[in-house]
Amino acid sequence: MKFKQLTKLAQLTKVAPFNKVTLTIILSLTCLTHAVQAKTIAITNATVYTVASQGILSQATVIIENDIITAINPEQVNADETIDANGRILTPGLIGSMNALGLVEVAAVAKTLDGGDKKADITFDASLAFNPKSTLIAYSRKGGITSNIIAPSGGEDLFAGQTFAANLSGDFSSIIAKQNAVLVYLGAKSKGSRAQRLQALDHSFADLQKKLDKKASKEAKQAAKQAANKDDQPAKELKRDEKVIKALLSGEKPLLAYADRATDLLALLALKQKYSLDLVLVSASDAVLIADEIAAADVPVIMSAIDNLPSSFDSLHGDLSNMSVLVNAGVKVILAPKGDSHNLNQLRFDAGIAVANGLAKTEALSALTANVADVFKLNSGRIAVGKNADLVLWSADPFELSTKVDVMWISGKQVSTQSRQDALRNRYMAQNDMPKAYSK
Amino acid sequence: MQTIPVKLGLIVAAMSLSLTACLPFEKQDAKVSINKNPFPSTYKTLPQQNTLFTNATVLTGTGQRFDNADVLMVDGKITQVGVGIVAKDVLTINAQGKWLTPGIIDVHSHLGVYPSPSVESHADGNEMTAPNTAEVWAEHSVWPQDPGFQAARAGGITSLQILPGSANLFGGRGVTLRNVPSETMQGMKFTDAPYGLKMACGENPKRIYGSRKQQPSTRMGNVAGYRAAWAAATEYKRAWDKYNSDYAAGKNSQPPTRDLELDTLMGVLDGEILVHNHCYKAEEMTVMIDLGKEFNYNSGTFHHGIEAYKIADKLAKNANCVAMWPDWWGFKMEAYDMVEENVAIVDAVKNSCAIVHSDSDITIQRLNQEAAKVMYRANENGFALKPEDAIKWITFNAAKSLGINDKTGSLSAGKNADVVLWNGNPFSVYAQAEQVFIDGAKVYDRHDERYQAKSDFLLGQE
Repeated sequence: MKFKQLTKLAQLTKVAPFNKVTLTIILSLTCLTHAVQAKTIAITNATVYTVASQGILSQATVIIENDIITAINPEQVNADETIDANGRILTPGLIGSMNALGLVEVAAVAKTLDGGDKKADITFDASLAFNPKSTLIAYSRKGGITSNIIAPSGGEDLFAGQTFAANLSGDFSSIIAKQNAVLVYLGAKSKGSRAQRLQALDHSFADLQKKLDKKASKEAKQAAKQAANKDDQPAKELKRDEKVIKALLSGEKPLLAYADRATDLLALLALKQKYSLDLVLVSASDAVLIADEIAAADVPVIMSAIDNLPSSFDSLHGDLSNMSVLVNAGVKVILAPKGDSHNLNQLRFDAGIAVANGLAKTEALSALTANVADVFKLNSGRIAVGKNADLVLWSADPFELSTKVDVMWISGKQVSTQSRQDALRNRYMAQNDMPKAYSK
Repeated sequence: MQTIPVKLGLIVAAMSLSLTACLPFEKQDAKVSINKNPFPSTYKTLPQQNTLFTNATVLTGTGQRFDNADVLMVDGKITQVGVGIVAKDVLTINAQGKWLTPGIIDVHSHLGVYPSPSVESHADGNEMTAPNTAEVWAEHSVWPQDPGFQAARAGGITSLQILPGSANLFGGRGVTLRNVPSETMQGMKFTDAPYGLKMACGENPKRIYGSRKQQPSTRMGNVAGYRAAWAAATEYKRAWDKYNSDYAAGKNSQPPTRDLELDTLMGVLDGEILVHNHCYKAEEMTVMIDLGKEFNYNSGTFHHGIEAYKIADKLAKNANCVAMWPDWWGFKMEAYDMVEENVAIVDAVKNSCAIVHSDSDITIQRLNQEAAKVMYRANENGFALKPEDAIKWITFNAAKSLGINDKTGSLSAGKNADVVLWNGNPFSVYAQAEQVFIDGAKVYDRHDERYQAKSDFLLGQE
């Protein structure tokens, strides 16, 4: 068994495009060594939305071994546990993004807030503060969300810090990837000009580029000198923040830029062009005005499906059909509600609203799964062999209000959708002569 | 012992009567009275068309559902609901496969007072300058060009209460509007709807004023503030009652000095203004119920009652309505104990009045879905709620809370023809309002641009 797993992992490593994925696989391998015996789960007779090349499969079987999907419709099923889906819909676990899950318990209680800090800068890693036991996490699972991209709110610096990925298992080992993208907030300012931040962003790239070029030429000279056996001072190592900017310049890390007005979005597209950035636009209310430009630049957009009001002069073109318009123009979109983390489980309903306003259902599902995985380089978001076994079996149409999560798995492990809210409800609906405090 | 004061009282009364009778005729100054409607509604129904909807699934708003049913609107009123209705000279709309509900009502909105765009110049929803600002009226802040009104109309909202914010113990008067486009607040004002008085419990007042080192900085400070105000209002009312009765008796007595703050509180004591109390927690709502009893007014509707499920019996017994979200939580400590079945638990008690409200310019566009979430989550946990039950939370019960349920909130003969035609079951995520009628006049049509109003603000924006 172990050998088989290793072979499979080796194959995966070959196709894995980035170090983060490799890391995940090594981590899961570590987990394997603790398992007494591999457990195989078969989900049979499911309507499988693969969000991958296989499209939608009817009466399909999905095999999970430990934390990985190992087969779809195998010729033989030999599982430790079989779950008959009875035709119900199986999707990849949904992936939330751009919220503070695990960094907030009560928004107005300052001591429960860890998403921002006055001193936060481009190196800020809020994953150190992530609390997998936050009550928001169990509640979010009710929405079929299996993993999530957590975004810091930043501080006084131009850069707000870096995002990280975590699953919603509630385990202490929830974090999937640390520091996986850099965040910057642009656009309208209460004091001063939006131009200053755009300019500062440009300068930080230009300055480092210059330094890197200088360093490279110095290193080349050194190499020549060393070849001639001459001693010299080595070129200075980059500072912490410079290393991050370097990762942006090399396209190793995505730059997530919050902005709404079309002029800001265009300025960002120009920066992408100039420095070959892996740019992702966030919020991007005006994106519909320049949908073709965004599609041509191959820039994904992370957006809300329901912010249709002209809430500022930067966002006068909100409409419930915007997501559909962008997708039809060829833009890769990710659906992420603005603001509060407590009701993240509404994600699927927002997708339903987007569908009611013109978005194809499969596109809406991609916006909550595969597209997020692609942008943040996660080995999840699709039902395909080798993918992480983050799966949700729904009672019916995942986007419908009447539907609920019947079963869900995170990394192959079945997880509960019960939360503190259920405990409170049960207490107050229980019949008891004694005060409610005795009902536990 | 007890008879003596009564006798004494009689004697005093008799003496004053005889004194009055003995005095020469007293010349009275003009009677001073309070104009209770100084900013009257100028709302006029939009062009109407008598209409018969046929073959619809009809939810009445009062707990009934009729399949393949017809609804007739004539001269702005619902005249018939039933099967096989025949009517002459009316527009017939075949509503096969579609659903009809009463117009949706939101009891808690800040549209117009916290409008879009959200700029400082338009942040007119809360006079945060003193813990008691009962003298301010939300209607004086309403910007009728808020594009949010149009968006809400596309979601089936036909009436809504605009409330001041919740920073103050007494935030001021709320106003109920018809959701029709107008250049003026008066053009939207719901004729003859009672005013609301916004009160607020809990964290907001104590945080806002406590941080300024003034009362209240605690919940007990909050309650002391309410009690002091109601005590003053009781005296004020007594003074006006005395002036009115003295005047009626022919005396030329001095009227009390007008006090706009106390005018509003007196309106509550007189039963003319309805209390709308931002109050999340079980223990605080219970104190507010007792406070109403202490000063002899009804504690009205509790808004955002996150913990209402803990005291559902008490709330029904005291005839309080409770306006709730299906699931918002965690933004403050007082919103921590949310349960998704809150509305259903409150609703399950006899004589209850459970409401789903928005307090949001986004969710007001989908109150049907907000109600749907409650229904489905509750049904997963032991309830057996149906669409005809859930629709009450956003129609009839909301109308009752606003004191307009004799006019709107249900599809029954004699009621205002406030109607939403949905493209399917309104409790689906894919549901959309196709046509919306207020007083029998079409104010919105998803498929006809002529019935899609646009705010001045958005005109010509590129």
